[in-house]
Amino acid sequence: MGSFPQNEILLATPEGGELRIRSFCTPEQIRQLNFDRQFGTHAHYRSLYTRRESLEKIAATPDASVVLAIADGKHIVGFGVLAYPDPEERWAQLGPLLMEVNAIEVSRPWRARRIGQAIVRMMMVHPLIEEKIVYFVGYSWTWDLDGNRLSAQQYRRMMEKLFEPFGFQEYETNEPNLCLKPENIFMARIGARVSAEDQNRFKWLRFGMTP
Amino acid sequence: MKYPKEVVLTNCTEVSIRPLQPEDEGRLRAFYEEVPEIDRWYMRFDVRDPEVIRAWARGGQDVFSIVAECGDRIIAHARLHTHRYGCYHHQGRLRIIVLPDFRQKRLGSWMLLDLIRYAMEKGLREVRADFVVGVEDAAIESARKLDFFKKALLEDFVIGPDGALHDLLIMTKQLHKDWGDF
Repeated sequence: MGSFPQNEILLATPEGGELRIRSFCTPEQIRQLNFDRQFGTHAHYRSLYTRRESLEKIAATPDASVVLAIADGKHIVGFGVLAYPDPEERWAQLGPLLMEVNAIEVSRPWRARRIGQAIVRMMMVHPLIEEKIVYFVGYSWTWDLDGNRLSAQQYRRMMEKLFEPFGFQEYETNEPNLCLKPENIFMARIGARVSAEDQNRFKWLRFGMTP
Repeated sequence: MKYPKEVVLTNCTEVSIRPLQPEDEGRLRAFYEEVPEIDRWYMRFDVRDPEVIRAWARGGQDVFSIVAECGDRIIAHARLHTHRYGCYHHQGRLRIIVLPDFRQKRLGSWMLLDLIRYAMEKGLREVRADFVVGVEDAAIESARKLDFFKKALLEDFVIGPDGALHDLLIMTKQLHKDWGDF
């Protein structure tokens, strides 16, 4: 776990409560909170993280930032995870140059309150952000289309709008899982201090090539 | 949709994909001059007719064209033809032409994927592509990989330059419109 300072945004809820969006949550902090029951299995959708312990585990990994949306000081209603990719994945081949927005999710009753945007903002205040290429992989089969009453295309557009204000843009890739559906999306943000050489390495990696 | 899109082909060639512009007319004509005569034979339009090229380059509400460039050279052209009214307004018809040197390198698939995304953005329910069996088998395989399915096979429907009849395969891909489709 990195020793990065925590940042926090405080939002008021329409019900008169408070909602904190906090970055770099530690495993100990996460352990003291309740995980919303909506993070589970639904008819056409399963949450990316269904157990609080999984967030604790990833919070303990190097440089990772687990951002939590915490209602009334004790209840996790949203989360975002910025971490290094799984070593088995293509994106791990460039080592610590790449970090992944591994997950972003807001509990169904708490959606449409711009909590997702606040979570992304807090993930992007990472001290190493300008030295990294941060990417996001959106597989349409992991999206809660049912809960949001959106088509995959509308959901895709929503993801674009969520990430673009933070410097992300869509890139093409031949990664096989992404190519399975045209609705899938791959976005990345290239940090200001990433060298031209590393940007090139990223380009070749996206297409599974060695020039 | 944001352009240009940079893609890398399987032989490491870097290619840029973008919409066709009116000023591309001359280069598009040069592109079709490079397309082998046998491929031109099976096209729905006479691409040696300058008016056909001019109309595509100028664009219009019923056709969306993209081109792939390698350097300054157009190496592929893809179109989506649509209808604003009537029984075909839910559907788009796709056509992709790639120069021989750039075939089997996934360029056609990239362009197909781009047109599918465009069709989804336009709210179409279905896209259609017609293929001549025995002539366009590689394209049929690419379409299958992107969930195109056989809609109909018109046996002995088109005629080759040698007088031989070929089957025409009509393939379609459903585009999900409502959340309930999933």
